[in-house]
Amino acid sequence: MEGTANSMSEYLSVLIFIFVGIGSVLFTFFLSRLIRPHNPYKEKSIPYECAELPIGDSWFKFNNRFYIFALMFVIFDVEVVFLFPWAVAFGELGLFALVEMIIFILILFFGLFYAWRKGALKWV
Amino acid sequence: MESQILTLVTFFPLLGIVLMLAIPKNQHDSIKSICLIVSFITMLLSFWMYAMFDPIANGMQFEVDIPWITSLGIHYHMGIDGISLLLIVLTSVLSVLAILSSWISITKAVKGYYISMLLLEVGMIGVFCSLDLFMFYVFWEVMLVPMYFIIGLWGGPRRLYAAIKFVLFTMFGSLLMLVAILYLVFAYQSYSGEYSFDMLKMMELPIAYGPQLYLFGAFALAFAIKVPLFPFHTWLPDAHVQAPTAGSVILAGVLLKMGTYGFVRICLPIFPEATVAYLPYICVLSLIAIIYGALVAMVQKDVKSLVAFSSVSHMGFIMLGIFALNLQGIEGAVLQMINHGVSTGALFLIVGMIYERRHTRLIEEFGGLAKVMPVFATFFMITTLSSIGLPLTNGFVGEFLILLGAFKANTVYGIIAASGVILSACYMLWMYQRVIFGKVTKPENEKLKDVNWREKLILIPLVLIIFWIGVYPKPLLDRIEPAVKQVLTYVSKATTVNIGEGIQIDQARTTDEVEIILGEVDPVKVGSEGMEE
Amino acid sequence: MEFAFPEYNLRLMAPEIFLFLWALLIIAYDVLTKRKSETTAGYLALAGLMITGLILGFTGTGHGFGNMFVSDTAAKFFKIIFLGSAFMAIGSSFGIMREKIVNHRGEFYGLILFSTVGMMFLSSSNELLSLYIGLELTTIPLFVLAAFFKDDKLSVEAGIKYFIVGAFSSALLLYGISFLYGLSGTTDLVQMKINIAITHLTFQNIGVILILAIVLVVAGIGFKLSLPPFHQWVPDVYQGSPTPVAAFLSVGSKAAGLIAFAKIFVNGLFAFHHPDMAPNDWGRLVALLAVAAMILGNTVAIRQTNIKRMLGYSSIAQVGYIMIGIVAMNALGMAAMGFYIFAYMFANMGAFAAVAIVEDKTGSCEISTYSGLARTSPLLSATFAVFLLSLAGIPPLAGFMAKFYIFAAGIQAAQHDPGLYWMYWLVGIALLTTVFAIYYYANIIKQMYFAKEPSPHKVTYNFPALTVLLIGLAGLFVFGIYPEPVLHFASGIASSFGIIP
Repeated sequence: MEGTANSMSEYLSVLIFIFVGIGSVLFTFFLSRLIRPHNPYKEKSIPYECAELPIGDSWFKFNNRFYIFALMFVIFDVEVVFLFPWAVAFGELGLFALVEMIIFILILFFGLFYAWRKGALKWV
Repeated sequence: MESQILTLVTFFPLLGIVLMLAIPKNQHDSIKSICLIVSFITMLLSFWMYAMFDPIANGMQFEVDIPWITSLGIHYHMGIDGISLLLIVLTSVLSVLAILSSWISITKAVKGYYISMLLLEVGMIGVFCSLDLFMFYVFWEVMLVPMYFIIGLWGGPRRLYAAIKFVLFTMFGSLLMLVAILYLVFAYQSYSGEYSFDMLKMMELPIAYGPQLYLFGAFALAFAIKVPLFPFHTWLPDAHVQAPTAGSVILAGVLLKMGTYGFVRICLPIFPEATVAYLPYICVLSLIAIIYGALVAMVQKDVKSLVAFSSVSHMGFIMLGIFALNLQGIEGAVLQMINHGVSTGALFLIVGMIYERRHTRLIEEFGGLAKVMPVFATFFMITTLSSIGLPLTNGFVGEFLILLGAFKANTVYGIIAASGVILSACYMLWMYQRVIFGKVTKPENEKLKDVNWREKLILIPLVLIIFWIGVYPKPLLDRIEPAVKQVLTYVSKATTVNIGEGIQIDQARTTDEVEIILGEVDPVKVGSEGMEE
Repeated sequence: MEFAFPEYNLRLMAPEIFLFLWALLIIAYDVLTKRKSETTAGYLALAGLMITGLILGFTGTGHGFGNMFVSDTAAKFFKIIFLGSAFMAIGSSFGIMREKIVNHRGEFYGLILFSTVGMMFLSSSNELLSLYIGLELTTIPLFVLAAFFKDDKLSVEAGIKYFIVGAFSSALLLYGISFLYGLSGTTDLVQMKINIAITHLTFQNIGVILILAIVLVVAGIGFKLSLPPFHQWVPDVYQGSPTPVAAFLSVGSKAAGLIAFAKIFVNGLFAFHHPDMAPNDWGRLVALLAVAAMILGNTVAIRQTNIKRMLGYSSIAQVGYIMIGIVAMNALGMAAMGFYIFAYMFANMGAFAAVAIVEDKTGSCEISTYSGLARTSPLLSATFAVFLLSLAGIPPLAGFMAKFYIFAAGIQAAQHDPGLYWMYWLVGIALLTTVFAIYYYANIIKQMYFAKEPSPHKVTYNFPALTVLLIGLAGLFVFGIYPEPVLHFASGIASSFGIIP
């Protein structure tokens, strides 16, 4: 049981870190509330440089196609995530890594090809 | 060929199944003929086996022992002694007669029916041949399926209920038996270092007293449900009454015997101490079965359920004979197994014949049949008397030996059992009187046809057997005796029973006395002493 | 730049690689062809599975990818089951292909093959993370397959239900795996077996963390195995999804869950099986779930009116029986587990194939549809009856041998180890529930054979479905009467898990 206590005490620092982290955020909020001027008016509560002002209800149906395009995008996005570290370490990995990556990309291309043939890239 | 005779007898009906599968289902005549011919050849094979059987030799004959599933030590091990020999012959004879009896009465799904009959025959003969516990269990279970179909598809109005009740009861018992078998196998493995399912090896296995009680209980429950021993008998009247005639014949003639056979073949030799411990309880249950079965039979309105309850009573006799644990008792019990198969089989066939004519089995619907159907009345008389156990019929020999054994074991049991004989005479003769004698009261009965040549063909062999065993049972007893002595040798491990001339069995043993035997005296020593005499 | 080929032992992975490429090929074939044939894609998939089987036969044993991928007897045995169940599922799917699935035939077969590849990876993985990835590759295609009838409300419901439950259980499993990693510092299962035992000895008692890990992993895989109380999705998903998919779920996916379970518990947590390790033992926990599965599956199945739901509950019960083999933790138990799922494959895939044939004809899965079917379709009724009898465990069918071995393993464990005396109770309950099981299996046979009126339907067979029926029939009889070769093979599973007979 002693051993368990020891191993748990190593986590104590983590716990303290968490409390300090939360505490510092709360503290700065509290500080800014003390210092800042208080002058609310209407324009302050509308989105600023984020988007257009919404016209009508925001709960309306998007075209289904957006999702399919988004999905296609995500696949290639992830591909890039894998490509970056591969490119950095390419010098040490050698030819085998190249072959491997080509297979990986080919499989993804197969997916693209499939989506294309199924008409997923057409905007009807 | 001779060495493989058991394999041949057991699996020959499969040939018929294969042939029948090849025939279109609407060709009823050729299906029936093939089934009859195949079962007839099986019967001839079993006769041949009977002829070759050496009545003097001890131990198993025609043994076959081939490794089958080696990883668990399961062998294809078959062999017979006198007890199984007679039961196999009985099975093959009754199968032929049952098939013959369903010639006209079965009209729907003919192909399936005859396939089921042959499959049933394979299972029944297999049970009696097996010397490997695994094989025994497989054959035991295989029979359930065709019997389920025979009751459920071709049975009476409440057939669905009866069929599922039969299957669930039997299955429940046999699964417990499976666990006990597995326990035995692993006990044997830790004893000798190898897996084996061999019954003969199990008989040599020393088992502690406590586990023996549980194991005996598990096996005994499976067998007692099949016998059926009171209070596990409730499936029997339903199954018997609802089954078609042939189904009832096989059920009463052979299936019930598998329970008593199991007691003789497995329970007694493998668990001798437990046998002695359970003895008083089983004897009391048997006596209850004898009296209760007879009393309930007396008040039945339906001839078929009367015969069904009489089976409960007669099977009680057989159980009592087995648990008398002496030579006469067990010999009588084995002989009575055959007798009951023959005479109750014949009774069910006769009931089936009048049912085919009148489509009712109620006793009050009949009366005065002696005038209309004299030949039928004669056959009925003979089988009734055989069932009661009149001297010169087979029933007398068996019941006499059982009662002799019972009296030697315990006088009180003997007296109670003997009163069962009187009761059986009461209900059988009363029923016979109401059905056959008197005036013809119902106009429908006036034009009934007497038995035709096919029905005579069925009944004459049974009548011949009834008289043959009644007058000259020696050939059968000669074959039974060495086997029974073998069983008693194993039982004598736990008791001071003597086999041979001066048959002495202890008076009623209480549990205390058993403990004295087990605790203070070395069972092995007692056993060897018993054998020396 | 030089082409340095690392010691990956890719040849061990040849069956998986081939099957994966073949699945791509089928999808490509389907999108490329203009005039679509009803059956070509299906036959291509069947051929692919057979070739994979052949390649598997020639693949040796050994380790690859730094001990992450292992090809041993256990892996091979289960791969045969995965291939076999995929084969039989695809074989019974030709009926729905004709009418219900017109536009996505290639995807249907491709997804089944992908899922099979996932199962094969899973059974070969020797390490927790690749095991998890294998499990995900198995289930994700199945989510889509369950919802394959896009216009059918029940099918979509099945897909969504299966997806939510599957995602949730994956999360639980991952959480459990992270605890195991925390305790052992490794994800390698063999190493973990040693490390956790050392951790346990060092700290005397690992306490609540190991319990949490065990519970989470049991729950995570319990969902895949449909062990109560994680079974609620089963009847709905089986009922809603296309019948061949339900069949594949009930055998293939279940076998995958089983091997994952065995890998983690029998291999990784080997030391913590016995009650001596209380409260860190998993044996009694799993035994309890097995009891729940047997009782619940077998009793609730009695009251079902839809045959797919009934088979769903029956499959819950069957898993309960298999778990006895794992809880027994002896060589016989491992072999019994393998043999059970092998026999179960023939019986259950056959039963679902029969259901699919009837459904193609009548469009209904109600048990009342089967009334009087024996008179119009004797072959189908007879084979279906044999499958049900095998599921019930009637000799001489393979299902009986399977139950026999399971019970044997349980009793051996109880007899050899006094601490496991409760295994007698486990086997006893298994026996009792078997009697219930006979009742509802016999009920279907009763409907088919004992009905007064003949059925208005007469089924028609397509060639692959008929083949599946006959394969099932032959398998049950052959391996019921002579199980020795399979048992011999299955006994190798125990040594794969390091259990010496």
